Amino acid sequence: MRLHYLDNLRALAMLAGVLFHAALAYSPLIHPYWPPADRSQSQLVDIFAWFLHLFRMPLFFMIAGYFAAELIERRGMLGLMRNRARRILIPFAVLLVPIVMSLSWSTQWAAANVQHPSPVLQWVAQFSLQANPPQLPPSTSHLWFLYYLLWFYVLLWAMRSLLPETVWRLPERLPRWWICVAPMLLSPALASVVAPHPAPESFLPQFWAFAFFGSFFAFGTAVYRRRGWIDALSPIWLASIGVLLYGLWFALLRHATIDPSNPRAPWSLAILGAYISVLMTLACWVAGRRWLNAQSRVMRYLAGGSYWTYLLHLPLLFLAQYLLMDLSWHWSLKFAIAVFATLLLSYLSYELLIRRTELRRFVG
Amino acid sequence: MNSLNIPVIKRLIAKDWLLFQKQLAAHVLAGAFALCLLGLAKPWAFYLGSLLLIIVLVAASCFSISTSLVNERRDQTLAFVMSLPISPLDFYLSKLAGNLITFAVPFLVLAVGTIAVILFTPLPDGLVVYSMLLFGHILAAFCVSLSVAMAVESEGWNIFAMISSMVMINPFIMGLGQIESISAIARGPDIIFNAPVIAILAAQLVLSVALLCLTGWAHCRKTAFY
Repeated sequence: MRLHYLDNLRALAMLAGVLFHAALAYSPLIHPYWPPADRSQSQLVDIFAWFLHLFRMPLFFMIAGYFAAELIERRGMLGLMRNRARRILIPFAVLLVPIVMSLSWSTQWAAANVQHPSPVLQWVAQFSLQANPPQLPPSTSHLWFLYYLLWFYVLLWAMRSLLPETVWRLPERLPRWWICVAPMLLSPALASVVAPHPAPESFLPQFWAFAFFGSFFAFGTAVYRRRGWIDALSPIWLASIGVLLYGLWFALLRHATIDPSNPRAPWSLAILGAYISVLMTLACWVAGRRWLNAQSRVMRYLAGGSYWTYLLHLPLLFLAQYLLMDLSWHWSLKFAIAVFATLLLSYLSYELLIRRTELRRFVG
Repeated sequence: MNSLNIPVIKRLIAKDWLLFQKQLAAHVLAGAFALCLLGLAKPWAFYLGSLLLIIVLVAASCFSISTSLVNERRDQTLAFVMSLPISPLDFYLSKLAGNLITFAVPFLVLAVGTIAVILFTPLPDGLVVYSMLLFGHILAAFCVSLSVAMAVESEGWNIFAMISSMVMINPFIMGLGQIESISAIARGPDIIFNAPVIAILAAQLVLSVALLCLTGWAHCRKTAFY
């Protein structure tokens, strides 16, 4: 049976990724670190973008964990590995180099040609003037999600090989109030990195990312084994508490002082961040089950192209935003144009290259 | 020579994989932990992580050989294998392929990962040559242990071959330190393959391939398991 709400949730979360990455160009908070950071900025962008950041990827990992458990039940561990190799490993291996190269090319082009460069572009321009510039470490770029998913599938196999069935049945005995305590266990992971937490783009896996995102993945597998466990929760209550806590989190973030030599989030931000992530992820899940569990042609189409859009969006978005950088338009207009152009090109290429070809088995 | 019984060879590899699965899972977890230590980008974590990775690699190779060959003899499951429609060469190839796959996966991940860490961190790039020599030694030691395990039935000799070949990494590291032309490369910023380095790498490779071929040749000539 097709779970429409999970398809729809996954599509919306992937499209939210485009909005999030597009918004970063107009965020005052990340302005010194983001290549297409624009002159036109707004605090409003920070408020919305970082809220999304706290639960968008956890939701992805929870959905991925749920589907992993489902695949194991239907096709066994070998079936899971074969399916994931086709859907995750091959797209990751094939697309990583072209994506990183296109990002690098557009950034170098912008550093040489944009009249109002961001701090990162200025740094790139100075860096490229050096006779023998040192090589930057290789990165997984925004495909880090796929990279960590590959790790989590391997770790899931390892844990299932080692742990007895009684351990896997533990979540079935946990009371629902456990959800109130669980975020405390995630807070050390968030306290070990800067706030808002960065994307773990390095090829060397990070402890904090394993602990934080891996917990959501594991929770997804547990929810599959105990379907209906969280369905009784109220998405409105969860989201309301999440939004209230986010207000506090954002206020603390604005006044937080972080030591540049040891960039770590204060415990207050880490604990609040963990609670917001859990509450909002659950709110999205339960809300999706209640209100998005219907088949719709539009959503089906969006869901079909969402994976391809996720893979392709960042190079397109960067290019669009570099081209818009010198224009003295309002940030909201630039944001809308960049998002529209990225989605248009992504879905157009999906329609032409993927939807009706064999490639849909990999990235459709 | 009779043709190879590929379906049974595949089944034997699958059987060994199933028996080794739990140990391999533990090695994967330890390997992931070691890589996370490297990811902390602290000097103490780098040394601890690299050491743990080498231990994992050595343990994976020794356990793989031990589970698929030594324990099989001790548990007398070879008698069952002999009842299958396979020749000694089929049996040899299944063990060779199974062990090589089990060893090659962590070996390649570790080798590529180590080289990437050296190239993309402030560590001198000359360390790539040094680490390739160390990986060459581990490969040769694995081939020695695997060949002995397949050719010699004594458990004592097998354990001796495993331990001594792997432990030899210590004198090997000390020996490399004594060769000035190699230790100078390891400290330098350039990746240079000079004559002594190429000679050692070639010797390791030739030894590894020759041992496996020799064992295969011996099995090829056998008409019975004993």
